[in-house]
Amino acid sequence: MTETLSDSPRVAGTRRLSWSRVGREKQIDRAVRAIPWVLGALFGAVALHLLTILALPTLWPGAPYRALAAGLPLGKTAILPRPDPDSLGAAFPDPFAATALCRFDLSQGSARIRAQVDGAHPFSISVRLTDGTIIYSGNDRDAPSGRFNIRIVTQKQADAEDVSQTSGGDAAPAPGQSGAAEGELRLTSPNLRGFVVFRALASREEDYDAAGSALATAQCAMEKPSP
Amino acid sequence: MSGLKALPLATIAALALGSAATLFSLQGGPGFGAVRLGAWTSWPQVGDSDIDPYARASLAVDGALPLGSREGVAFIATTDDEGAPLDARCDYRISGAAPAARFWTLGAYDVDGHLRPNLAHRHGLTSAALLRDSDGDFVVEAARGARPGNWLPLGEKSRFILILRAYQAKTSAIGDAYQGMSVPSIARGNCS
Repeated sequence: MTETLSDSPRVAGTRRLSWSRVGREKQIDRAVRAIPWVLGALFGAVALHLLTILALPTLWPGAPYRALAAGLPLGKTAILPRPDPDSLGAAFPDPFAATALCRFDLSQGSARIRAQVDGAHPFSISVRLTDGTIIYSGNDRDAPSGRFNIRIVTQKQADAEDVSQTSGGDAAPAPGQSGAAEGELRLTSPNLRGFVVFRALASREEDYDAAGSALATAQCAMEKPSP
Repeated sequence: MSGLKALPLATIAALALGSAATLFSLQGGPGFGAVRLGAWTSWPQVGDSDIDPYARASLAVDGALPLGSREGVAFIATTDDEGAPLDARCDYRISGAAPAARFWTLGAYDVDGHLRPNLAHRHGLTSAALLRDSDGDFVVEAARGARPGNWLPLGEKSRFILILRAYQAKTSAIGDAYQGMSVPSIARGNCS
């Protein structure tokens, strides 16, 4: 009996080994070719995640600026409805906080915020950008003589005012110091648009309407730069 | 993997992973820097311009107007002192020392941010209207049914959260702690 070469167990084993090596090489080759796609997908996922996190505060329809302030006319202060289970104001409202809002747009000039504190209700003001960042907050104990007088300007407007003051003979404000008028807080906003929140607190539920009345002095006005 | 086959797969994977990462990061409160005091958690950085982008995104999606740092500090509790989720089928005793602040309020909310409807139309308590003992300490009974004294009605829906707002708080966050700030404990009582 003669044994052919192909029937030899030794040769068949070598061939099986060779086929499995080819299969493994193909797998490795496929895996190597997939690496750029996997990395691309990961990169895309990270980019999408970061973009959504950065864009949500301004694009989300329920974000406070879009939901509460974007539709307000410039210069108008709106008092939010009293918080109750059916109210459509901000989420998680304090049921004892009477709240008013106004929006500002510094593209044509500065914004002037005024409020008179009544002393009977804790009162606060916060200035926020469209993405919700709070760039200033203050309470009635920060307000000299019970009066808030805040002017919001852009950096460019602040620089122009400082130059104008210097050329007018006044000393230039030191770095970090504002060129604000007496009794005025000049606030530099990094963005053109934003909104202001006024809060007056009621000591108990039946005091809410009186706290709301304390918001009647809250004013927002847009001011054109003087020629 | 040929380019034509791989491109849609990679795109779908990127969209799914990116969206999942965003949804995951918006769970569990606004961003980093949480300060915990007992069952209460606060995020002090949300009241300043150095708020992180995750906190900004989380607050925008919630639709909340957080307190500015000079307005006060808000503490949120989603569990009792033992770590069990707050459930309106149970009674809770909120007691202890008051936060060091000019004025504070305590409110109960649905998890979606609405005040909880209840027959008493009472949605919170304030430090000014609270009944206290001779030491100035207080006990608030949070329950569905009416209670004598400081009663905080919980309404019908089971899951709820508590928010304690300390206005003009006499403290500031130092790292992951508040100096000189005390908050009340939340102890669960009977459950129906």
